Amino acid sequence: MDFLYHNIHFIGAFGLMFIGLYMIAVKKNLIKKIIGLGFVETGINLFLIIIGYIKNGTAPIFSKAGLDPARMVDPVPQALVLTAIVINVAILALALGLAIRLYGHYKTLNVEKIRGLKW
Amino acid sequence: MVSTVWQNPVLLIVVPLGLAFFTPIIGLIRKELVKYIPILGMLFNLTLSLFLLPKVLDNPIIVSLSGWKPPFAINLFVGPVGILFSILISLVGLLTAIYGINYIKKGAVEKYHMLFLLLLTGATGIVLTGDIFNLFVFFEILCISSYALVAYNQDKNGIEAATKYLIQGSLGSAFILLGIGFLYGLFGTLNMADIARNITTVDSPALFIAMALFITGFGVEAAIFPLNAWLPDAHSSAPSTISAILSGIAIHIGIYAIFRVLYTLFGFNSIFTVLAVIGIVTLLIGEMSAFRQENIKRVLAYSSMGQMGLIIFALSIGTVDGISGGLFQIITHTLSKSLLFLCVGYMVYSTNSMELSSLNGLGKRMPLISLLFTIGVFSLIGLPPFIGFPSKLSIILAGLKTGETLFLILIVLMLLATVIEGVYFFRIIQILYFKEPDKEERFKTPFTLLFPVIILGLLIVAIGIYPGLLQEILDRSAEIFWDKLSYIKIVFGG
Repeated sequence: MDFLYHNIHFIGAFGLMFIGLYMIAVKKNLIKKIIGLGFVETGINLFLIIIGYIKNGTAPIFSKAGLDPARMVDPVPQALVLTAIVINVAILALALGLAIRLYGHYKTLNVEKIRGLKW
Repeated sequence: MVSTVWQNPVLLIVVPLGLAFFTPIIGLIRKELVKYIPILGMLFNLTLSLFLLPKVLDNPIIVSLSGWKPPFAINLFVGPVGILFSILISLVGLLTAIYGINYIKKGAVEKYHMLFLLLLTGATGIVLTGDIFNLFVFFEILCISSYALVAYNQDKNGIEAATKYLIQGSLGSAFILLGIGFLYGLFGTLNMADIARNITTVDSPALFIAMALFITGFGVEAAIFPLNAWLPDAHSSAPSTISAILSGIAIHIGIYAIFRVLYTLFGFNSIFTVLAVIGIVTLLIGEMSAFRQENIKRVLAYSSMGQMGLIIFALSIGTVDGISGGLFQIITHTLSKSLLFLCVGYMVYSTNSMELSSLNGLGKRMPLISLLFTIGVFSLIGLPPFIGFPSKLSIILAGLKTGETLFLILIVLMLLATVIEGVYFFRIIQILYFKEPDKEERFKTPFTLLFPVIILGLLIVAIGIYPGLLQEILDRSAEIFWDKLSYIKIVFGG
């Protein structure tokens, strides 16, 4: 139980990633695959945030006196996540746009029926 | 170190990036001007890279952005390998952009040229950067613009191939981000030189996981064997200019990223044996799949996959000779495969079909293009006096020099793959020259389509006859690429 208590955030992050990987691998509907992609990326963002997180931490701004640097949250992973979110938005938007076009050509989103090329 | 503003290597990234963002605005004013913007940007990059090459051969240039010193700033590591790649990128980009003037006519032209420039910017950024997260961002720029460009024709095949490529590719980049997360968790820094100098202090399974994640993630782009299902579809469904860029540049960038991370950051020697075997497996599978294709662009795409295997094998030999051979093979493949895709692009454009049977007798109908196609094919197979001969020879010599039985067996398999490659390529040559054409009339090739192909053909023959032109540059590049300690020393100015 102690292990669970200390690592629950890691389990959550990797759990999200595995749910996403499962969806990409197993689901046949293209939209569900894209949602799975979103899950994987959210899991990774969560993981990055956890790396730099300190419980009851403060923002690393030296404006007020008497702030303890050891209690400051590492800002670098948060900057990384901000960048990663922007990239993910681009990827998901492009993916959904392609899915719409694909539906226009095939009238289905089932990847087993979309077989113009060899999958 | 950098004497004037115009010699700053940052411009290699800034100029094409800026031009890419100005492209839609210029498109609003005059639509015809848009297609000349990539030419302008790549001409600038080519000139600057050629100018920088002799300087970085002696001393790699470190550029720290916004005035901070590494490891606090994002720094660029402008070494001979980076400049060599930058020359290749801008050369192929320039020639493909010239080819595109008359080739890309329908569709959203200004978006095509914008994404084209962004793709090349991403590639240049990856080879120059010295920061692992910066590398990831440029990698995403490269990947996202290539997903969109594969779907440019908006036909059934293009969209389907792009969707496949997008799902596999973005899963790959997600792995890279996860690997970066592990590295940051272990070292608290993103600067590659800083990680490299501290890597021996940490002995944790997380390090191995991070390495595996990097190899898998970049491996999707580099088309390593179990991760390359997207490649034949994407390369064959894209417009031919984009196929040339993807086959000539994008996949090599994936390989560069893998080996930059392996050589500089991790340096586990045991992984190289595994990668050498995977490389040869990729080579054999690629060549055997190419053998039974009936679609000319799919043949070339599978052949690219095979060549990637060969390059991975060469770079995994783990000696300076092997790396020099691998870099030489990258140059060979870039020049030959872009030449082939551009030639085939024109053939497909004129005959409106990608089936091999539609090429019957084209040797009589478009003699110059067919001749150049033949040069490209001979160079890929490795026949003298073309560039493929010295590069393959140097890989074989480097492998034999190690004197290990495993490498001997792998080289035999590599030669076997070359034979398979020869058989299917000679079949295409036979179709071109010895089958009777359906019609007699000749095609007139526009100058803008002919010029890039001729330049590529001339380069292939010229370097093939005087490989000494490149050998010295390659050896020096390989030395710096391989040497982790000097990398750290150069970045921190010790």
